[in-house]
Amino acid sequence: MSNTTFGVRRRGGGDIIFAITNYSVFIALAFLCAYPFYFLIINSISANDVSALGQVRWLPVDVHLENYAQVLQLNGLPMAAIVSIARTAIGTLAAVLASAFLGFMFSQSKMWGRQFWYRFVIITMYFSAGLIPVFIVMKTLGLTNNFWVYVVPFIVQPFFIILVKTYVEAMPESLQEAAEMDGANILQIFFRIFLPNMTPILATVAIFSAVAQWNSFQDTLIYVTDQSLYTLQYLLYMFINQANSLAQAAQNSGGNLSGIITAATTQTPTSIRMTVSVLVVLPIIFIYPLFQRFFVKGIMLGAVKG
Amino acid sequence: MKLPKKAVAVASALAMVGLLTSCIGGAPEAERAAITEFPDKWDDEITIDVFDELANYMGVQEGWFADVVKKKFNMKLNIIAPNVAGGGDTLYNTRVSAGNLGDLIVVGKGKKLDELVKGGLVSDSSPYYPAMENVEKFDTAVTHLNDGKDGVYAFPTSVSSIKPTEPSEGIDPTFGPYVRWDLYKQLGYPELNTLEDLLPVLKDMQDLEPTAPNGAKVYAISLFKDWDGNMMVTAKQPTTFYGYDERGFVLAKADGSDYQGLLDDDGEYLRTLKFYHEANQLGLVDPESTTQNYDTMWSKVQNGQVLFSWWPWLGQAAYNTDANTAAGKGFELAPLKDMTVFSYGAEAYGAGPVITIGSKAKDPERIAAFIDWLYSPEGTYVNNSQTMGAAGPQGLTWDLDDSGQPALTELGKQAFIGGEAEVPAEWGGGSYIDGGSTLNVSAVLPADVDKETGLPFSYKSWPSYQELVKTPLSEDWKAKMGDAPTTMDYLKDNDQLLVAPGASYTPPADPSEIETLRNQVKAVIVQYSWKMSFAGSEAEFDTLRADLQEEAKGLGYDKVLEFDMETAKAQNEAREEVAEKLG
Amino acid sequence: MREYPASRGAAGDDMTSQLVLQEVAATELEESPATEKASRKWRRQAGGRRSMGMFLCIVPFMVLVFVFSYFPLYGWIYSLFDYRPALGLSGSEFVGLQWFELLVSSPTQVAQIGQVLLNTLAISFLGIATSVLPLIFAVFLNEVRAPWFRNSVQTLTTLPNFISWVLVYMIAFSLFSSSGLVNNILNDAGLITQPLKFLDTDQNVWLTMTLWGVWKGLGWGAIIYLAAIAGIDQSLYESAKIDGAGRFQLMRYITIPQLMPTYLVLLLLSVANLLNNGMEQYFVFQNAFNKETIQVLDLYVYNIGITGNSLSMATAIGMLKSVISVVLLLTVNWIAKRVRGQSIV
Repeated sequence: MSNTTFGVRRRGGGDIIFAITNYSVFIALAFLCAYPFYFLIINSISANDVSALGQVRWLPVDVHLENYAQVLQLNGLPMAAIVSIARTAIGTLAAVLASAFLGFMFSQSKMWGRQFWYRFVIITMYFSAGLIPVFIVMKTLGLTNNFWVYVVPFIVQPFFIILVKTYVEAMPESLQEAAEMDGANILQIFFRIFLPNMTPILATVAIFSAVAQWNSFQDTLIYVTDQSLYTLQYLLYMFINQANSLAQAAQNSGGNLSGIITAATTQTPTSIRMTVSVLVVLPIIFIYPLFQRFFVKGIMLGAVKG
Repeated sequence: MKLPKKAVAVASALAMVGLLTSCIGGAPEAERAAITEFPDKWDDEITIDVFDELANYMGVQEGWFADVVKKKFNMKLNIIAPNVAGGGDTLYNTRVSAGNLGDLIVVGKGKKLDELVKGGLVSDSSPYYPAMENVEKFDTAVTHLNDGKDGVYAFPTSVSSIKPTEPSEGIDPTFGPYVRWDLYKQLGYPELNTLEDLLPVLKDMQDLEPTAPNGAKVYAISLFKDWDGNMMVTAKQPTTFYGYDERGFVLAKADGSDYQGLLDDDGEYLRTLKFYHEANQLGLVDPESTTQNYDTMWSKVQNGQVLFSWWPWLGQAAYNTDANTAAGKGFELAPLKDMTVFSYGAEAYGAGPVITIGSKAKDPERIAAFIDWLYSPEGTYVNNSQTMGAAGPQGLTWDLDDSGQPALTELGKQAFIGGEAEVPAEWGGGSYIDGGSTLNVSAVLPADVDKETGLPFSYKSWPSYQELVKTPLSEDWKAKMGDAPTTMDYLKDNDQLLVAPGASYTPPADPSEIETLRNQVKAVIVQYSWKMSFAGSEAEFDTLRADLQEEAKGLGYDKVLEFDMETAKAQNEAREEVAEKLG
Repeated sequence: MREYPASRGAAGDDMTSQLVLQEVAATELEESPATEKASRKWRRQAGGRRSMGMFLCIVPFMVLVFVFSYFPLYGWIYSLFDYRPALGLSGSEFVGLQWFELLVSSPTQVAQIGQVLLNTLAISFLGIATSVLPLIFAVFLNEVRAPWFRNSVQTLTTLPNFISWVLVYMIAFSLFSSSGLVNNILNDAGLITQPLKFLDTDQNVWLTMTLWGVWKGLGWGAIIYLAAIAGIDQSLYESAKIDGAGRFQLMRYITIPQLMPTYLVLLLLSVANLLNNGMEQYFVFQNAFNKETIQVLDLYVYNIGITGNSLSMATAIGMLKSVISVVLLLTVNWIAKRVRGQSIV
């Protein structure tokens, strides 16, 4: 651990003041960030009419679990959960491996056209062709109503590649030189030397990718109509979007409200939306700490250097 | 060896041509022989994609309605709802550009439908039309809708045998000044001559009940921001009390007697803004109005924190619960002496949305049979939206009583009055409310009369139902209103209803220049409308008004107004024509 | 960055060597070493066998990039039409540059767009200015000794990232509306008599929007730096410690310089995003009173209904933004090359 090395140092008065300040600031920050989530939790279990007014702030009022029961009873929820888990696992694995490999390869100045291809990839972050041509490409490739639409378009992700490349470039050159000396080829160098030493940044990429995969619903919306491929997020999105659909309908109607009366009288309680939000975030909160250990395992490159 | 080779060549050439033509898609298929009867049985089960611009639910239809459709047509409905999906026309555009919108399509007529027909995305139902006995009853509307198209491409919705000069609404109007009747009663039913008279009355009502049961402060008026379109939505509503409705930036009176620009100095829209402004000065307007959405406002009405509503389907639907009405509390119409409430007449040739069959539909014949069924009495009872009073399947939620009158069954009472009921397994099981049709489209208007019973399809208009829902509140209101049985009856009897004849008029789509100008101008109008309503003083109100008029004009308001004015007049001509012809 | 002895090129008898040889042969044929430049290239080809092999390894990925990102760009042609998807491109009317002209068709409109751009840039620059916060956060969090505390803080501070803007607004509404928590507390304390308008005011909108953004992204953004810190060669610390460096000196001379490459790359990437603030945050927070100052480009485009109604106009705007972003990226990159002697991309 990076800090244990310093842990044995003597602690002077300055250190103590520093520690107190540091801890207090972080406690304050943690509170500021955690409170809203706490707010969501207490509202999701409070009486719906009270929480709709935003008056539940410190303690839940009239605790009940009906919101959770209602959400968990949604049709197709188990299947959607499986799809979500599958896309998160497979999509993340693919993105992590591809980013690690490409980030590493783009750090190899000897690669033919390195600069060009790196830019070729990075620039795609800054433009988009618009939905329709992309949709037609997906459809042509047979990716509509297909599980792989959740994975294939997300394999190459410029941002992750940048992260990995920057990280690799900060690693000592001696790592690669030593391996080359031993006659390893580029793939061997990647798999044997670099991949095991990239865990912190790969953990970062994994978290980013997993969260993006887990939270994504737009792709289901556009590319999927087959119910067996619905994701959890999509199902929940559909469930809570009634209020939005009402505003949308009102605006589309050009002022003729006779058409939206049918929907205007049914409202999704705000607390249901909060319930959904809590349910979606919980798995992330439980899994995130598992990744955290990768952040503190600093590599002792000195050993390799010798 | 030569011949076979040639034959192969010819065959493959033919195959190529075949492939090509099938790829082109729009090419007409071989003329199908017209059928005069649909089969009773459908062998294999299919799931069709229903692209439905009215639906508020996305996914496969479940529950008792799914059960009915499955039994009759061996078919499942997978609803695709752009309103739920959000993002405007995103879903429509992507699906259309890929050449397949859906098997069954509910879409707006006018430009959209015309393009779909032209682009070959919807199919001609002529071969099935002779078999569609139920639709045929509305042949005039079908013919009118498909006028100028080479075939039967679309079916009209909300059709009826009601005259276009009669209201399309059932027992409640769409608009109207609704107040908390219990407080109004406590004040001794003060007389309201005109809109502005509401201010002191609302003030007194607010003083009578300054805090709601949940401890929150009561405000007579609570506005919301998320529906705003061409104008501030809540500011337009009071203009409907005087018979106006919007046509772009024009407020047009239902009878064609007046057209106002939205920003006219002495117009109704600015009058409403002034009304809100004064109300706010009196402390009657919820200060959270500027930042809240419809759902928050709805909860406030539900909790008794709001005393005024522009619509029965807000005030009454949210607040008039069993418990409240039994205690004499609730929203009821408080007529203004000079009001003439706008009402949508029954559309002679159907309303805006239409039903059509996609050109790549899996089994067009079965879909045609399904569409036809939607227009049958059974389909009408079953499919229409529950809030519009669809009675559900006969034998389940309602039946004819001994005297041959329709009446709700126990389960019907539980479902419609109690709010929830469990459906027996032989009807598919599950919750009745959740199992209702998610198509959200009325093929036949619920207010239309069922020839069998002689009463409207909507149970809300049945005498047996009216008897059921008598409450101290409604009795008090009726007594005060000269024993009018329903709000609609009261308005009609007192000549306070102005029906815009249902001409099924489709406004032309904005040319792109107008569209762009409009989008800019409307943003400014909405923004200033809010600022004016919450202006700190009369002087500030006037300054803002002048600024609004100037800025809107700078962005091209006049040009858009001119366009809208023409449309409004064309609309009125259509109304007069239909009133003369069918009224 | 690194140079490899040519001899080692042959060392890896990797799986693609067959292909590599063919590929190299092809390249050699293509390039006639006539000019000096070309001949330099030629010389580098001496060690080029493996570099071509390396390239071949990434070809499948480049194909993906091309298919999903470059190929669909043909859709930009829609910006010259009044594209109606139902009719296809052939059935749609060609309108030339009409959509681009419409953006600047009247003085009022130009003024409006000016204000929108001002908002966009202001909020973007504030965003860039605060982009150093996650770095500071990570550096100081790294100084926390107790692992449980460090992990808890890390987890808790990422929470806001997972709350959608719609719900963030609900929370904001509950806390800051005129009957919200903050006003109630201030009122009870007798500090105010009239509720303060936090949400419906045009005061400090840029700042508050930036603060909401910081709040939501701080912990999440710090993950990258925490990973980078974990990757720092520990021997650097050890030798510095032997030289007697204190805590702040270690931070200043080792940790921060080691994070700089990552920070600068992210910074430059965000500069290229000047015009892209996204719209969800501003959409949920907008109302008639702050619209003037909250309307960033993405929201403006949404508000005036362009995205919903005219695909072609949306394409035109998307295209303009794409081009500007790429130009910005290349400019920033060029400057970085000048200043740091090393380009970012």
